[in-house]
Amino acid sequence: MARSKPSSSKKQPKRGVDFKKIKRKIGRKLPPPKNATNTEIKSKAIILPEQSVASERAGLAVSKKGLTLKELLQQTSHHNAKVRRDALTGIRDLVLKYPAELTLHKLAIIEKLRERISDEDKVVRETLYQLLKLVIFPALKKDVPGSLISLMMAYIFNGMTHLATDIRLMAFKFFDLVVQHYPSSFFMYAEKVLQNYEDILRKNHIYLQDRSKLKNALVGLVRCLSLLPCNRRTVDPSYGKNTETQGSLHAYELEVPKEHTDFSSIIKRLEDILPILVNCFQDFIPLVHPMSSLDAQSFDCMLYLLRSIDLSVKFFLYGIDKHQTDFGVTKPTYNEKDMPVWGEIATPVFLRKFLEVFPLNQLHNTSGKDEDKFFILNIEITEIFLHSNEWIFTSAILMERFLEFIENLLSGKIRFNSRSGKALQEKHLTSLLPFIPRLVSLVANTWKSRLLQAFTMAFKDCKPESTLNLAFLSAIEEMLLPSKRQGILLLDASEPEILDHQITWIRELPVLLVRLGDTLSSLSKVILHLLLRLGQYAPMNSSLAWEYDIMQHTLGEFYSMCLDDGSILYGPFMKLPKDCQELSVCCLYYFSSLDSLLLRSLVYCCLCDNLEPSVLFRIIDVLHSAYKIGHLQLVDLISFFVTLVARWKVLPGRLYTHVENAKKISNRETFKAITGAVCSCLRQMGDDALIFQIVQRVILDEIPLNPPIDNLCGMLRLLVILDSRPTKLSEQSIIILSNSISEYLIDAASYIPENGDEVTDSNQISICQYYLVPCFFLFDRSDKLLNLVLDLMGSSIGEDNSSLACNHDTQHTLDLSSRIVAVVSILLYMHQDIKIRRRLSSCKGEITRILQKMRLQLMQSSNEMGNTLEERHKIQFSFDRLKIAAGQLNCWDADELKIISLFE
Amino acid sequence: MEVVIASSPVDAGIGCWDLHSGAEQLRYRSCTSTPHGLACVGQRFLASSQLRDSSSSSGSILYWSWSKPQVEVKSFPAEPIHPLVSNSDGMYIIGGGSSGAIYFWEVASGRLLKRWHAHYRAVTCLFLSDDESLLVSGAEDGCIRVWSLFMVFDDIGMEMAKNPYEYSFSEHTLRVTDMVSGYGGCNAIIVSASEDRTCKVWSLSRGKLLRSIDFPSIIEAVALDPGEHVFYAGARDGKIYIASINAETTSSNSYGKHIIGTLSDNSKGVTCLAFSKDGILLVSGSEDGTIRVWDAKTHNIVRIYRLAKGPVNNVLVVRRPLYSNRQTSENSHSSFSRRHAPLLPPPLGKYVNSTDENVDSGAVSVPQTPSSDIMDAPYLSYHVLTKQISELQVFFIFLS
Repeated sequence: MARSKPSSSKKQPKRGVDFKKIKRKIGRKLPPPKNATNTEIKSKAIILPEQSVASERAGLAVSKKGLTLKELLQQTSHHNAKVRRDALTGIRDLVLKYPAELTLHKLAIIEKLRERISDEDKVVRETLYQLLKLVIFPALKKDVPGSLISLMMAYIFNGMTHLATDIRLMAFKFFDLVVQHYPSSFFMYAEKVLQNYEDILRKNHIYLQDRSKLKNALVGLVRCLSLLPCNRRTVDPSYGKNTETQGSLHAYELEVPKEHTDFSSIIKRLEDILPILVNCFQDFIPLVHPMSSLDAQSFDCMLYLLRSIDLSVKFFLYGIDKHQTDFGVTKPTYNEKDMPVWGEIATPVFLRKFLEVFPLNQLHNTSGKDEDKFFILNIEITEIFLHSNEWIFTSAILMERFLEFIENLLSGKIRFNSRSGKALQEKHLTSLLPFIPRLVSLVANTWKSRLLQAFTMAFKDCKPESTLNLAFLSAIEEMLLPSKRQGILLLDASEPEILDHQITWIRELPVLLVRLGDTLSSLSKVILHLLLRLGQYAPMNSSLAWEYDIMQHTLGEFYSMCLDDGSILYGPFMKLPKDCQELSVCCLYYFSSLDSLLLRSLVYCCLCDNLEPSVLFRIIDVLHSAYKIGHLQLVDLISFFVTLVARWKVLPGRLYTHVENAKKISNRETFKAITGAVCSCLRQMGDDALIFQIVQRVILDEIPLNPPIDNLCGMLRLLVILDSRPTKLSEQSIIILSNSISEYLIDAASYIPENGDEVTDSNQISICQYYLVPCFFLFDRSDKLLNLVLDLMGSSIGEDNSSLACNHDTQHTLDLSSRIVAVVSILLYMHQDIKIRRRLSSCKGEITRILQKMRLQLMQSSNEMGNTLEERHKIQFSFDRLKIAAGQLNCWDADELKIISLFE
Repeated sequence: MEVVIASSPVDAGIGCWDLHSGAEQLRYRSCTSTPHGLACVGQRFLASSQLRDSSSSSGSILYWSWSKPQVEVKSFPAEPIHPLVSNSDGMYIIGGGSSGAIYFWEVASGRLLKRWHAHYRAVTCLFLSDDESLLVSGAEDGCIRVWSLFMVFDDIGMEMAKNPYEYSFSEHTLRVTDMVSGYGGCNAIIVSASEDRTCKVWSLSRGKLLRSIDFPSIIEAVALDPGEHVFYAGARDGKIYIASINAETTSSNSYGKHIIGTLSDNSKGVTCLAFSKDGILLVSGSEDGTIRVWDAKTHNIVRIYRLAKGPVNNVLVVRRPLYSNRQTSENSHSSFSRRHAPLLPPPLGKYVNSTDENVDSGAVSVPQTPSSDIMDAPYLSYHVLTKQISELQVFFIFLS
């Protein structure tokens, strides 16, 4: 304010009276007198919000115009509408900028804002609406105490009874907003709100001019009514449900029952409101008919009116239905006090009258757009009709009209003209389809066939990716299978015509499944589930069960298909997610006799590398179970198993577990597990001797194809597990086996560790044992086999390998020296095994022959130049080792030994 | 005396061992039982439904008394019966047929009181809840249904009701292999096992699925720990898995969610399980023909019995009355034992009699409280009632 300077000028008049004059030089400032009062004021601390400058409020949240929340809130009750509006916009800016402000002061903000609900100025209300809708409610979504809602509601109700119609309608809009964000709030205030709706609709003639407002109010009503419980038709809630909620099943549950509301008051209100809705709708009809075009606003109003009627009818039905299920009897008891069932006499009368208007006719209008509108309205009315169908006794003529409309809708005679019509039509058809099963079961026979005809056609024409399919499928499920709740069949399958349709649907299912591919796995899942249910519930020996059996021919394509050129085309099965695969595998169980063609396509899938091992094991499980209940031929199952073992591709992961081929090793583990699973299945089948005969036959068919070593090992294991001692193998099969076993052993020899005493990889030893043990079992059980194998091994090292090479692929062909080394190491390995050693001692002739052959080779190689010194050394070394072992066998006398040593 | 009885699908007879001493008792001959097809009727005698070759249309149920190894009574129901169950005092025998029908016989008279169509496929297992008011049946199609025995005999009520069963659970995709119920009558939980490699826990009071547990192999048998903390699941891979019901489980372990351990003896597949009355000893039957007794607390094998070469498919732990024991020891006094031998009831009837007795059961108005002892009341009360009505009529005629 003032500084010391003006004080000097003040002193001037007093001078000369009390003090002597002091001379001063111009321009020179005197020091202040000693007794001068220091009038300096430091005014820093006082800040009045109205007048403070911007720099002072650095810590506070301000809007764009530099106003704090407090100021803005004060301004919302300013007398100037423009200021109020600006304040609201300001709050919006501020909250968007500082979300924390809102959570801190939510109570204060709402308390202030609610006063604006019944603001006289339209723009202010609109701004408030936007503010609440876009900013405040979304931000408060998480934590909203009931007190906040009740704060709002007081003013909303106030607005609803306001004299000005604008404000009234706007209040409904606000309520709608509240319900939209906090649905539970409807039930708290349902009675009062419905009362208000009733009032406003009763005076509808006032608002007929202002239809957009009425529409807004109606939107709110529809939203509220849609919160009421009704019988929801969902596709199938029982599967895919998550049950992993509780850790402990017997634990105390904190859940409170959800159905807290007492609906009786709502029912009473709705009873009042329904006739008014109907009246209101009928008021619109004269407006509509003479005109050739229907404006959008009144169309919307009509649509919403219809929706509200529909929803309230649904709610009443729910009440009746719930009442019935509570008591478990079909007849509802009307004089029950706690559950006022809707009066049967009064209401249907006006509803019937209302339904009489049904075909809102489009005779006299031409423009396509209008036709669509009428069409939509008609569909809505049909929906109401279908809902109410159960307890209104409609006249036959009206019924005809509805049925014809539905038929036309299904068969596509009525179509939307507009471009978006296709999607719209699908949407509406979806809402009507759930009624078809009930309708079909109730109407007279002529209509039954017409409706079914149209339904089947529509289903066939439906594109695979269409959303309609879901609705179709659930309708089909209802018409094919006994319903889950009532356990009775809706349609009598004994009538040939109905059966025809049912068969058509069933045949369509696998086709649809294949056409879908893996694009819509959710839909595939529904189809598979339907198939499974069909398999489970189709009565035994009925034509439906028969049809289910026939389906496997088409279902083969779903798994895989063998093309003419021998290549395999995998079906959608391979690409679907695991739960779908699981379902489709379960379907196999219910075919009363599994076809070998289907098994073949299944085998192709199993042999594919991409199939998850767990699914593969499921297939083995399920097929085995199917065999147990006689759905599968023994021979088919065994050839399935053997093919699996013989052809499954084991990736040739060699000895050492490097990081990059860890997968290959695990692949072999999988194969071992498969062999194990197959073995345990075979052993559980019953008569071992019979099964052994079949397995033997199938395996002998496979063996000439020269399977890789792992597969051969698997097959030998199957034989060993079923065989007993002495062997049950036939002469002929021993000869065939001996051929392949001798080669097999030479291949397996490469896994034998070089020296027994050396520390080698434990993995390698286990692999070696894995390969050799089944052979040892066979040798132990059959001397003849051992003799033959030794013989063959002996001859293989004696001959030139070129003659052998032509029989075997290159992988098996080793050069002579390594062949000799292999044979020797096999023999030595066998020698280590006590049991086999005993067996070997009876085959001294063969061993001597091998030794002689080796000797011969040694001599030959010394003459030939082809063999290197190293090879020669290797053969010599093996020869010596074998000789020592043979000596240990102690199976020949000194003479023979002499003969052998003579060669040296 | 608590004994283990076991039977096999191959003809090895019914083995019987003292659970605590391990001594083998009498072996009852010529029995090829179906899975779940062995029952001890009211501790008085043994009954077993028999495997038949598929060609024969009728089934067969045999009775053995405790004291004699030979079959004493043979009955031939209209179709092959798979599971067989009896109530605790041995008044009734309930069997599940291969067509999906359930048969309800009165033991004392052998009459078939009721036969109703329960499933679309063969019934695989049956049990009564511990208060014997509810019957739970599982079928080959994976469906489990809960029947109120009270409703089953109320013909009028059946017609009025939307569905004859209390609940129908269809979440299993393949055959139901075994089921077991906890304590608490209609508030109990039930555990079911299926070939779809899952076990599911259901609530009888709420009629809904509480939990589904995936196992690494097909579960053939389940047994519930008396405290209902865990249940034991005998799998086809030879292990007995222990799955928790009441404990918070860690997120994952080597077997899967909710599975907390195994009992394993490297045997072939486990086919059946039973708990002793004290809840400590767990008896398991195996594919390899042996019966193992485990201590559920220490997870050790206590005893091994050998039944047959073929698989075992039924194991029960029952209390055997002592008098029959005395009989075997005092066999020399043949006259004495014959006098005391409990006479076995007549064979079971083949069809529901279409005579007046059958009409009776439907026309009786039974009191509205669902309790199990109602079951035998109707036959008496109806006669009393009709008698009274006719007396009243006579009386009125007199008056007029």
